[in-house]
Amino acid sequence: MTDIGNIALWITLLLSAWTVAVGFLGGRTRRPELMRSAERAMFVMWGLLVIAAIALMRVLLTHDFNVEYVAAYTSRNLPVFYTWSAFYAGQKGSLLLWALVVSTFGSVALLVNRGKYRELTPYVAATLAIVILFFTATMVFASNPFERLAFTPPDGRGLNPQLQNPGMVFHPPMLYLGYTSISVPFSFAVAALISGRLDTGWLHAIRRWTLASWLFLSCGIVLGMWWAYVELGWGGYWAWDPVENASFLPWLTMTAFLHSVMIQEKRGMLKKWNIGLVVLSFLLSIFGTFLTRSGVISSVHSFAQSNVGWFFLVFLVLAAVLGFGLLAWRWPMLQAEAKLESMVSREGAFLFNNLILIVIAFSVFWGTLFPVISEAVRGTKVTVGPPFFNQVNVPLGMMLLLLTGIGPLIAWRKASPENLKRQFLWPTTAMVVTAASLAAVRMTNAWSIVAYALAAFVVGTVLQEFVRGTLARHRLHAEAYPVAFLRLMGRNRRRYGGYVVHLGIVMLFAAFAGLAFKSEREVTLKPGQSVDVKDPYGDTFHITHQGVSQYEQLNRFVTAASVDVLRNGKYIGTMKSEKRQHLDSLGRPTFEPSTEVAIWSTAREDLYVVFAGAVKGTEEAVYKIVINPLVWWVWYGGLVLAFGGLITMWPGAQGPTAASRRRAEPAGYVAQVGA
Amino acid sequence: MWRRSAPSLVALALATAGGLAAQAPRDSAVAAAARARTGDSLGRLAVPEAAGRPAAAATARDDAALVQAIEHQIRCTCGCNLDVFTCRTTDFTCTTSPAMHQLVLARLDSGLTEAQVLASFQRQYGEMIFMAPPKRGFNWAAYVMPYVGLAVGLGLVTAVARRLIRARAAGAGAETAGAPVEPAAGGASPEELEKLKRELERFEA
Repeated sequence: MTDIGNIALWITLLLSAWTVAVGFLGGRTRRPELMRSAERAMFVMWGLLVIAAIALMRVLLTHDFNVEYVAAYTSRNLPVFYTWSAFYAGQKGSLLLWALVVSTFGSVALLVNRGKYRELTPYVAATLAIVILFFTATMVFASNPFERLAFTPPDGRGLNPQLQNPGMVFHPPMLYLGYTSISVPFSFAVAALISGRLDTGWLHAIRRWTLASWLFLSCGIVLGMWWAYVELGWGGYWAWDPVENASFLPWLTMTAFLHSVMIQEKRGMLKKWNIGLVVLSFLLSIFGTFLTRSGVISSVHSFAQSNVGWFFLVFLVLAAVLGFGLLAWRWPMLQAEAKLESMVSREGAFLFNNLILIVIAFSVFWGTLFPVISEAVRGTKVTVGPPFFNQVNVPLGMMLLLLTGIGPLIAWRKASPENLKRQFLWPTTAMVVTAASLAAVRMTNAWSIVAYALAAFVVGTVLQEFVRGTLARHRLHAEAYPVAFLRLMGRNRRRYGGYVVHLGIVMLFAAFAGLAFKSEREVTLKPGQSVDVKDPYGDTFHITHQGVSQYEQLNRFVTAASVDVLRNGKYIGTMKSEKRQHLDSLGRPTFEPSTEVAIWSTAREDLYVVFAGAVKGTEEAVYKIVINPLVWWVWYGGLVLAFGGLITMWPGAQGPTAASRRRAEPAGYVAQVGA
Repeated sequence: MWRRSAPSLVALALATAGGLAAQAPRDSAVAAAARARTGDSLGRLAVPEAAGRPAAAATARDDAALVQAIEHQIRCTCGCNLDVFTCRTTDFTCTTSPAMHQLVLARLDSGLTEAQVLASFQRQYGEMIFMAPPKRGFNWAAYVMPYVGLAVGLGLVTAVARRLIRARAAGAGAETAGAPVEPAAGGASPEELEKLKRELERFEA
């Protein structure tokens, strides 16, 4: 199978070079046979990469330990579920997955746009082929998943225990889907720049792709937070680790794009900015992988380090030159079609929204790279951890939250004082009442008060929109309120889905603000001993250590410590935190022991118990006990956000706005888009 | 080769501890009774090394607010990117953070204040020991640059907006497309219905 996989990779490499050549040549000369060849080559590359993926999966599932990748990431006693996930547990498999997903998305993009955007598709195929060429070349020349060992070990090393978690099965693929799907908007942007077809046509083609990419990134990030929370055992879900930051960066720029593209569709403005954001998002998606693989920055993801990081750096520079070079070349053609009439308008609010998002992205980027910069400038290493990122980003986050409420309600072109009063009176009242109430109950953290007040403001704006729209339908069409509500959403899924996304964002902000009231302590308990822990609401958890047990389970040896928990005297359950020593099929320990946290979760707070160790080999246990307020809202906020994203991109929505379709007319795209 | 020896020892440990995981609070008495039968005040783990490095019993002092405050500001040098308190209470394989914790306690015992303890760590390890760059000298660039970026961005947006904003004739009405809907109360006149229809179009457009 490895021979088949290798051959598939080599043919893909050659074919991707062919696609690049005929794509650009076909686009330039308008020769149909070359254009068709580029498109067909994309489908063939997809088929070849599927064959390579099947080959790798087969050697993983059959435990062919003569293959270096299989020996490095699996063992005979690894559950099948995680043997599947070993496909992308290491760098070599990740590269194959990346190439496969780019070719899949590329094929789908060409298929769904078949017969449309004829001027763009050869360049789209060629640009995507460049990405595939890069990943395939990296595999073939530096990091081949089918590389064989000189001998066959009796068993593999096994999968890192921290990766043996359901969150880790879904989190990396989601992020990969997010990163790779940005390749499609990037390739359309490059195609539009090369071909000079710079109206909104290309935006129509990438609309769902940008949403899908943003949705995948969102889900990937939230799943990663969940994995960190339940698996790493440090009591939090976001540590501002460089690799976490690297996934956050393209999310921020994509979010900015999803807002600013509305201005281009509606008013024909911000064309340069939008193309710049698409290019930047693509570059940042590569930057994340560069950080993970290069070891430039110290990270908890350092297990993925290797020499291919520098391949990524070269690719990053070339892609930046290509993207921004083309943008500079077409700069004069990207003039706005309309003038800004007032900053007190939706355009103005979206401009500020974009500015804040980009400044947050810059601060994260700057903070992530500052250790390197400091060392280069002063020769002194510094650490840039959570205290820095929280201090710098909290004020920016508050500004963003405010604009999340203002943007959707303020009028296009120019808002009158009357418009402002009618739109913002109730949300502002909600904000003021919330702030006053929290101050009255003596909430001490000023940023938390600001966050909850702004959250009330945003919820007020969203509810007002839903209520007013539903009432209008009810009055005009005599529909029942639930019917009116659902039809209102169905008539403009992009808008109302966006509101649901905003509600998800508010839930996330509310959860982040709750971190200010987190408390943690370390206690040592003998069996039968108890400790009382107070939560920020004044309730008391009475925690009694029951003892420690040890047993074998699947591919691990478990040491489990149990506590009984009473809340205000009422029994709420037994919580069990574990240490797991993973073993190979011969019973030998592999890796260091890992932690399984015990979590009791409600909408108000999480009780988070970590068995931190046994004292002198006895049942006397050291526990870390954390009260984490409002963590539940992170996971459900993520769900609401994803649900809103799905509403926005659900098929059957009315497609581009009339204004946007009008803007595509000069290029003759109307018939094509409607086709 | 734990697999061969572990089960019998595990069985012994379970018998000693009295099957703990799925029991209600009252069952803690069972564990105590089991220990009493064996004459041992504390059950022994069958395979202690499987539970990570042996932990030292935490005292109230280990958990003191001042100790936590100091340890949250300094980084464990094991390469984990966590602060000392988080690392030593989380990563039970790390031997660095417990040692650094002992240093913190020793320096507090010697009469140093929080600031002096932090300064002593800086002398020992350099600035990288802090979880965030100290606010002095070049490090200010880390804190200031995002806001310089914001100021520059605001300046650019304002400059571009000034250039783009066209003068509008006095008295020209504001765009009504964004005006809110106010549903008519009671029976609506044809004019009101027409207005309502326009407003609904705004919501659904």
